[in-house]
Amino acid sequence: MTSRGTPETNATVASLVRINKWYGAYHALRDVDLQVASGERVVICGPSGSGKSTLVRTVNLLEPFQQGRLHVCGVDVGADKITRAARLAVNRRVGMVFQQFNLFPHMSVLQNLTVGPVWGRGVSRKEADELAMHYLQRVGLIDHVHKHPAQLSGGQQQRVAIARALCTRPQLVLFDEPTASLDPEMVSEVLQTMESLAREGMTMVVVTHEMGFARRVADRVLFMDQGQIIEAAPPGDFFERPRSPRLRSFLGQVLAHRDPHVDI
Amino acid sequence: MARERTGDGSNGMAHAGATHYVRQTPIDARAAPAPAGMSLRWRRAFFPSPAMGAVSLSLLVLFTLLGWRALQWAVLNAHWAGASSAACPGDAGACWAFVTARWKPWLVGNYPVAELWRAWTCFGAFALFWAWVVRRSHTASMQRVLLGFVGLPVAFFVLLRGGGPLPVVEPTRWGGLLLTLVVTLATFATALPLGLCLALGRRSLLPVVRWLCGVFVEGMRAVPLLAVLFIAATLVPLFLPKGMNLDLFARAVLAFALFNAAMAAEVFRGGLQSIGRGQREAATTVGLSDFAALRLIVLPQAVTAVVPALVNIMIAVIKETTLLSVIGVNDLLGAVENGARSPDWMGESNILTSGYVFLALAYLTVCYGLSRYSRRLEARR
Repeated sequence: MTSRGTPETNATVASLVRINKWYGAYHALRDVDLQVASGERVVICGPSGSGKSTLVRTVNLLEPFQQGRLHVCGVDVGADKITRAARLAVNRRVGMVFQQFNLFPHMSVLQNLTVGPVWGRGVSRKEADELAMHYLQRVGLIDHVHKHPAQLSGGQQQRVAIARALCTRPQLVLFDEPTASLDPEMVSEVLQTMESLAREGMTMVVVTHEMGFARRVADRVLFMDQGQIIEAAPPGDFFERPRSPRLRSFLGQVLAHRDPHVDI
Repeated sequence: MARERTGDGSNGMAHAGATHYVRQTPIDARAAPAPAGMSLRWRRAFFPSPAMGAVSLSLLVLFTLLGWRALQWAVLNAHWAGASSAACPGDAGACWAFVTARWKPWLVGNYPVAELWRAWTCFGAFALFWAWVVRRSHTASMQRVLLGFVGLPVAFFVLLRGGGPLPVVEPTRWGGLLLTLVVTLATFATALPLGLCLALGRRSLLPVVRWLCGVFVEGMRAVPLLAVLFIAATLVPLFLPKGMNLDLFARAVLAFALFNAAMAAEVFRGGLQSIGRGQREAATTVGLSDFAALRLIVLPQAVTAVVPALVNIMIAVIKETTLLSVIGVNDLLGAVENGARSPDWMGESNILTSGYVFLALAYLTVCYGLSRYSRRLEARR
């Protein structure tokens, strides 16, 4: 194993070492190094096209990379060995919440939550049902268990998606702009669900434009631009004492408008 | 009420400019205005202007005349009973006697009389199956319906052909509607799974598989069905090793199956493409393997999306079975033509015409029924 310069402790859930990714000729991720400790909440922000989504999607191997090394939840993957088996192994330990929810429209809420545990992890149906009911209770949607996704509001769908990710008992949950496609009225219910998750010590990596959420919840905030991590700091430092001129101008624009739905 | 509201100083309107408008009285929901009556809607549809009215009237006259002629031919001057062409002199009226006298060979061909119960069983089973499909085919049970379409023809073939305790009846003796039904169902049973495999093959990660499936589908789509049938009927026996012999029926079904598999493959491909990448990614992130994701997430949605298109293929197959008569298989069309060539019914062209009209009505009934059913499926989603 060649994890140069980044000694791993037992408490490290995910470790990315000099990850490089190209879309064709476009250099989308450039020498990205990132460690996520168990129980840590990392928020990633940055302008659109800066590689935030690509980065979280690389962590669970939805996006392959051409150079570097990834170590996630005990699975070690080099750029030359991204196999289906590795992707499956990583995804059985990592949960993900998407911008577009991506619930399964032909299944009820309960089936959405149990299909992963039953067919992916070999959990018995009874146990999977109990797990699903537990997490539906948590996200406050126990009354909607037999509905189909189309019958739910956007905010409810995203809470179901969060419960679905939790049902796979993940060691790490990735959020890819979870509130970006919600109506303004529904953003807070999803953020509250995520905050309660954070309070219970779930390890989370969140891509978001919700600066308030980053301030309240994050242990560390990352700023990305042009495929690189430009600055990383605890939220206090990040927002009050930004060092790089690029982050200063970004925060200036974002905080001046304070409209979380302007995709900056 | 309305008067009071307009009295709040701003005429109930938020004016442009700097005025600060606040509604004083909330507006209750009111019923929509009544829709236009029947007579008004008809007048608007057929007589919106004098010129259009004239068009409507002349079309009415034309259709009345045509309808009257058709009624004279098909009903008033028609000959209803008789055992030979002597019952239908002249060509002023249809010769339904031809139809009523020969219904049995048209239904079952030359199937032996002693074994006819097997044919009736097939018809009955299919009628029951179809009644079940139409009554309960909400989209959730679509997979079971498709399963029936695959299982039924196998059962029919075994029962009709016989073997074991049942005397063997070679497919050359089957005919008429029975043959049409079995060929249609057998085509579906083979073309659907094969088409699905081809569609999946075209998305395979292996270039060889992708290429082979693509060549097959594009090749089949570029060749007329009639050519495929002739190849199956005349060329395939030459290529088969000595001693191995596929009868004409099997070769015809094979040709239909391969041709329609290519059609179904394109339909399935569209269905698979309609399922976004997000669904597959979500399936991956809940820990499903690629195969489980395909089976549980992608295929149920893709197949449900293309059921109306599959029904369209089925309608096409039913109509295509008439091509079988060209290569000498005794399908419904072949049975009618053979009937008109028999000594009893030879001579009058009016007799064959009546047979064709009956045939057209029979196909119209079946295909229009299917088409209505397909519309209903679409409306339910």
